[in-house]
Amino acid sequence: MPSPMRLWLGCLGLAACIAAGNAARAESGGLTLFDRLGGEAKLRATVHEFVLIMESDDRINFTFANTDLKKFEQLLYEQLCNLTQGGCPYTGRDMYTAHAKLNITNAEFNALAEDLYEAFDRVHVPYRLQNKVVAMLAPMQHDVVKDHPVSQNPAVAK
Amino acid sequence: MEYFRALRAVVVTSCFLGVGLLGGQTAAAENLFGSDEGKFLLTAGFNDLEGSGGGGLVPLAFITGYGSSDSWGANAHFTSIQLKDFQLRTYGAAVGALDRVELSYTRHEFNVTGTPLDGLGVSQDILGLKIKLLGDAVYDQDSWLPQICVGAEYHKNDGIDHAAQAGLAGVTRVTQLGASAAHGTDIYLAATKIFLAESLVVNAAVRATRANEFGLLGFGGDRKSSDSYEPEGTIAWLPTRRLAVGSEIRTRPRNLTLDDESTAYDVFVGWTPTKNLSLVAAWLNLGGVLGPATGVTRHQDGPYLSIQAGF
Repeated sequence: MPSPMRLWLGCLGLAACIAAGNAARAESGGLTLFDRLGGEAKLRATVHEFVLIMESDDRINFTFANTDLKKFEQLLYEQLCNLTQGGCPYTGRDMYTAHAKLNITNAEFNALAEDLYEAFDRVHVPYRLQNKVVAMLAPMQHDVVKDHPVSQNPAVAK
Repeated sequence: MEYFRALRAVVVTSCFLGVGLLGGQTAAAENLFGSDEGKFLLTAGFNDLEGSGGGGLVPLAFITGYGSSDSWGANAHFTSIQLKDFQLRTYGAAVGALDRVELSYTRHEFNVTGTPLDGLGVSQDILGLKIKLLGDAVYDQDSWLPQICVGAEYHKNDGIDHAAQAGLAGVTRVTQLGASAAHGTDIYLAATKIFLAESLVVNAAVRATRANEFGLLGFGGDRKSSDSYEPEGTIAWLPTRRLAVGSEIRTRPRNLTLDDESTAYDVFVGWTPTKNLSLVAAWLNLGGVLGPATGVTRHQDGPYLSIQAGF
């Protein structure tokens, strides 16, 4: 009987190999994440659902008060398509510039990500693929959330 | 005495769980306690055995509670563990502030339910402090840097009850069983990485400790009385946004001749239906416990059930 630690590390190694194998198989299939998510139709549906959810989310809808939501929906689609190797050019501003004056907090950034998860759920994209998209978006926190932001949310008591 | 303790545990825990649940009941920007509940589901962690934000056995480098870096969070928990011959109930509360600092208090009530020591009881109080040093487990998906925390857990053993019933008349302190001290402090460093694209959480920790059976049998002993550096690890897979399935392992020093203390490990399922409630079901194996003292050397394993309410 090997020691519990060796057994545990052995299982961990095995799990890592399976995960790496899965990742390699997905790559070798030649499918981009964009394809695996369901292509343009699915991603446009996701972004549309996302805008609907976000509009009724009191945690963050105030940040879009002066935003042309049709244009925003198109730009978000372009950005997600671009990030997931769908081959679209992204014609919007960079994340730092786009959020320069919004004083976005971490909670607001996370609320937006939660709304995106919810949108993916509504169009039945599997959670493991949702995470691959959010993993690409998460580092944008560094550009979107500035140091010591003060929420501009009118719903928060000052 | 044990009825009083059980009652107190139930009353205290239900009050805290209730407050936690009620406080979180709102979907607006802030809950009743002014917490933004701004972190992702599961990233508050559960409460580990000593009450720190973690899995069930091992701390994670997450700060407990759902408050973001501009807010705070808090939770209460109750955990029941029934091994073959031993039972441990823990309850306590934890607060996380600014996604930076965590404070926790946990009470352990341990009872022997089998072996010749049947009836023996031990209790201890644990105060925990954890500070996030660097990294961000969620946002730093573009880097290999994990989120790293340093933590301390001060344990104060409250002594032994019903020793006469277990054939150890006159024994009221763990030092009479060979421990060097009845209190001690563990210091640990924990590094946690969420591989979000793979839906995996990996955690490694190292603990400087001289605790015997988490401090239930005191600190240091006749075999070794100084700190040992013990590695710990967690791996969890996230099949859904609200579920974590994984395993933890924790090596431990063997300081007492009386106790065949060895590596502890578990497999667990943690479910967080909302940011106000978490449930953990695990199977825990501590290896041999007090084998040389009782003559019962079989592995002590069994179910671990935990409930956490908070925000």
